[in-house]
Amino acid sequence: MKKILLSAVAAAAALSFSQAALAGAVLDKVKKDGVVVCGVNTAAPGFSNADSQGKWTGLDVDYCRALAAAVLGDATKVKFVPLSSPQRFSALQAGEIDVLARNTTWNLTRDASLGAVFVGTIYYDGQGFLVPKKLGVKSVNELNGATICVQSGTSSEPSVADYFKSHNMKYKAVVFDTTEATQGAFLSGRCQVYTTDMSDLAGARTKAANPDDYIILPEVISKEPLGPSVRRGDNEWFQICRWVLNALIEAEEYGITQENVDQVKKTSTNPNVQRLVGSGEDMGKLLGLDKDWSYRIVKQVGNYGESFEKNLGPKTPLALPRGVNNQWTKGGILYAPPVR
Amino acid sequence: MSGPKGDASWRLRERHRKIKEGLWQGALLLILVAVFGSFIFNVSANLSARNIHSGFDFLFERSGFEIGESLITFNSSEAYFKAFLAGLLNTIKVSVLSIITATVLGIIVGLMRLSKHPLIKFLGALHVEFYRNIPLLVQLLLVYLVITELLPDSFDPIHFGSWAVLSKAGFQFALPNDWHISFVITTVSFVVSWLALRAAFLKKSTGLVATASGFLGGVLISVLTWIICGFVFGWDKPEVQRFAIEGGGSLSPEFLALWFGLTFFTSAAIAEIFRAGFLAVPKGQWAAASALGMTKTEIISYIVFPQALKLAVPPLASQYMNLTKNSSLAVVVGYPDLVSIGNSTINLNGQALEVIVIIMSVFLTLNLITAVLMNWLNAKVTRGTNGS
Repeated sequence: MKKILLSAVAAAAALSFSQAALAGAVLDKVKKDGVVVCGVNTAAPGFSNADSQGKWTGLDVDYCRALAAAVLGDATKVKFVPLSSPQRFSALQAGEIDVLARNTTWNLTRDASLGAVFVGTIYYDGQGFLVPKKLGVKSVNELNGATICVQSGTSSEPSVADYFKSHNMKYKAVVFDTTEATQGAFLSGRCQVYTTDMSDLAGARTKAANPDDYIILPEVISKEPLGPSVRRGDNEWFQICRWVLNALIEAEEYGITQENVDQVKKTSTNPNVQRLVGSGEDMGKLLGLDKDWSYRIVKQVGNYGESFEKNLGPKTPLALPRGVNNQWTKGGILYAPPVR
Repeated sequence: MSGPKGDASWRLRERHRKIKEGLWQGALLLILVAVFGSFIFNVSANLSARNIHSGFDFLFERSGFEIGESLITFNSSEAYFKAFLAGLLNTIKVSVLSIITATVLGIIVGLMRLSKHPLIKFLGALHVEFYRNIPLLVQLLLVYLVITELLPDSFDPIHFGSWAVLSKAGFQFALPNDWHISFVITTVSFVVSWLALRAAFLKKSTGLVATASGFLGGVLISVLTWIICGFVFGWDKPEVQRFAIEGGGSLSPEFLALWFGLTFFTSAAIAEIFRAGFLAVPKGQWAAASALGMTKTEIISYIVFPQALKLAVPPLASQYMNLTKNSSLAVVVGYPDLVSIGNSTINLNGQALEVIVIIMSVFLTLNLITAVLMNWLNAKVTRGTNGS
């Protein structure tokens, strides 16, 4: 009787340990399945949004495509999984997605205790407030007693609580679990204020019947560095994801675009550029990829600047300025560690 | 034949049978323990691989978020367990109120379906088929949409004299200044007057009619008490301010959407339960009662309804528990119930397992209490029969 009991428990223990050991093999799984599973937003224009034909566009979407181009050789081999704010970290922890590129703020709690690690910052943002013009307020400090729509599970929820508390103001929170419900309640007039990252506010305003009826207040009450994250425990995959982001940014720094990358590959003599276009040292094999990993990123997706222009630039309804999201050589704070 | 005979032989066989059964059950128990043990092992191994902290001590940390409406005072510097308490009270508030209104509406609609007038019968059937066949989530979103789109802004609300206002920010009404004390006084007067009236009516009619009449009388008297309290303590009336309507009590659009949605949805099922109960009373009862010269109302109140109730109470318990569980859809309309607060907590500190265990335990407890109360009610209405 005892022997049966002991061996049963031992077998169960052995089974469970083998489960934990498989956690370090995301790259193998991605190569075997032939697709990168990317967690994105349900509807965030400019970052990850699907149009009526089901085609995904956005800055985060381009990052996922760059990852697929680098790892699998084809930028179209991505499976997009739309996730709401409450679901996103559970999906990442459980292994349902390989990377979370969902305009998610990088902070200590998330890096240290949610089972995720952030690979870098793809967009430096801040939290702001959107109000209808007819409210007649010019600053956040006039909003004492207002009703504020905020989305559950975002960093905006505690930020606005902290800000109002430190400025001795009160507010009524109306909290929903999806972006659409929160924005819908604000646009229907249920709340007077909508608070989230500035980039999301711009996107929300485009959904209004008359976007000119709304203004974004000037105050930015918090730092929101948005970046992709991966599951903790797999250092190899983490390095690949981090360096795909860095390659995207460095390609813009050296002026390598989708159009000129082939020509640059043939003619460039700058060793930094050669490493990025695959005609110099093989940086890819150190990551577990091949030599043309960064060449394919620029060829199939473009560099960071082109992606920004296509998704958030002046020709789009969002029309966000580069601002701090520009190269360090042009007055912004995008400074990618060198690919060398 | 050797071995024990007769009674002793039977006893030996019984003992062997019991030992065999014991072994099989022991083996099954071991397998269950091994399976659950491996689950727990696996989960804690994976959690520590991801560096996710586990344990319930997060409950005493600062929550960091605000709750839109709650029966207790709460602000973002208070601990998580107080946030959960506020959520729990919100869940209980909407569930209890919805159970009461759904039952009343359900009884009315059930009686409508049993009526002989074709129009009333049709309206009853329409109510049941409409609310029963559309998913609750869709109904909640629809009610919320209607409230937030069609009602006016809080700058320019619909006034009911100076006593109440209706706007996108909800329904706000005047409250007595010390409303906690007034609430206690009113509850006491309700209970006392209900019991007193019931005792008085019992001299002339059955327990059921006396209880129902006593209930109505109690409601009237407690409303009067509330109004008197208001004039004694002074009224706190809602006033339109810059961003909101301050003063008085309020029912937010989120609460109203959930209350109406749950009420209509569950009333359809309750109407059918009562109708089934009524139809199950043998026709002979009706015939015998009218032969004794009772009017239709008397037959229903004294003979048929008590018998219908015996059949209706057990399924009613399930409907009440379903309603309590359905109230967890509150998060889609923005009502801060227990599950919505749990969601916010999970996202702020990643303790998904602990929070879900808390939510499950709370719902289990609430529904077990409901089951106990309904069993007590069942025992009361089947008193005198053999519990069928």
